[in-house]
Amino acid sequence: MNAVIVIGKGLVLTLELLIGGVFIGLILGAVWAICRYQSIGKPIINQFISLMRGTPLILQLSLVYFSAPLLLGLHLSILLAGILTFGLNSSAYFAEIFRAGIENLPKGQFEAAATLHVPSYYLWKDIILPQVLKNMFPAMVNEVISLLKETALISTIGGMDLMRNAQSLGAEQFTYFMPLCIAGAYYYALVLMIETLGRQIEKRGHYVSTHECL
Amino acid sequence: MFQLTNACKKFGQTVVLQAVNLRIEANSIVGLAGLSGSGKSTLMRCMQGLEPLDQGHVDFKGQSGFMFQDFQLFPHMTVLQNLIYAPTLHEPLINHREAALNLLNTLGLAKKAEAYPIELSGGQKQRVALARSLMMKPTLLFCDEPTSGLDRATIEDVSSLLKAVKEMGVTMVIASHDLEFLTKIAERVVMLKKGQVAVDVQLANFSSPLAYLKEQYQGEEDETIN
Repeated sequence: MNAVIVIGKGLVLTLELLIGGVFIGLILGAVWAICRYQSIGKPIINQFISLMRGTPLILQLSLVYFSAPLLLGLHLSILLAGILTFGLNSSAYFAEIFRAGIENLPKGQFEAAATLHVPSYYLWKDIILPQVLKNMFPAMVNEVISLLKETALISTIGGMDLMRNAQSLGAEQFTYFMPLCIAGAYYYALVLMIETLGRQIEKRGHYVSTHECL
Repeated sequence: MFQLTNACKKFGQTVVLQAVNLRIEANSIVGLAGLSGSGKSTLMRCMQGLEPLDQGHVDFKGQSGFMFQDFQLFPHMTVLQNLIYAPTLHEPLINHREAALNLLNTLGLAKKAEAYPIELSGGQKQRVALARSLMMKPTLLFCDEPTSGLDRATIEDVSSLLKAVKEMGVTMVIASHDLEFLTKIAERVVMLKKGQVAVDVQLANFSSPLAYLKEQYQGEEDETIN
């Protein structure tokens, strides 16, 4: 029981990293996707996404945490470095999800908005993004689950998350099996909660599918 | 009211419109006829500004609306939200709800105000699309194949509705390959052939306009086959 509590203390950091990373990732992902669609800074964004997807997350995390003080003179905390890295990394994946969602929408939705003289900001906010979020929701839930599991990498820069707490306890007790099983149970419970929450949100959708009604 | 001058449009190497000139008088219904690929939808899209012209220009000062063949209602909004969304953006201080409900009532859709597009039949979606366009108070309305996919009874309803819209003072350009529908509703028919105006007639000048237009269609089909 004591082990469950000790390891559970890492839950706070894990959740902070997840929520912060998803928040930044979703916002930036939408921005990248919209800019790419409107050909604003497209080559730079494409290169950024390619780099984020083409290099290991552990390398990106180490670069941000260890190199930021040298290159930029910024001393980032473990939490901030983690949120920034996970946010930037997931923004690349969210951008691809948004891109697929936007490309799957009928061109007529953009044209209908144009004939009604809907300004660009409202077009994205009220017409395109709500449909993309609805249609691509399962893919986004997948990305959130992936990110949750990747937050365990924070232990490589000293973050005391679920994983690191389990390893520490294992080192203290000279047995890793039970602490790792407890950490695994925490992660699995979180994944199940995200899946359930995702299904609930999906059920709240009022219409079945964008394409069926067009 | 509306003047299109020397309109030319290409998609890649394919010439879709060749030097089309078209003048539309106020408070009239003009039918745009032609076989598939004759350029009627492209012509209307260029007139509305959805496609840029390669050459030529549009001279029109007023508000135009566009009804899409596949309606393009916003699926995540209710019927009422579809109607009031754009007017509210442009005139936020005015309550557009009452006007929208009146319009829905006129179109026989009062009970569908809170329904989502997925819950509507093809004819109902057509009427909602019409209502959404009318909420913007257009003086000129383009309708792309408004009878496509509808049964005869619903086509009769659409004809009556569009005539009622004309009575509201809205000029209309209706693209359709359905000559019977066009002769019932339009006063003038412009027939396109390979991106050019091949026929431009006032239907009142013919004792049997449908027979005349079918004859023109037949000639076009024969040329296409040959």
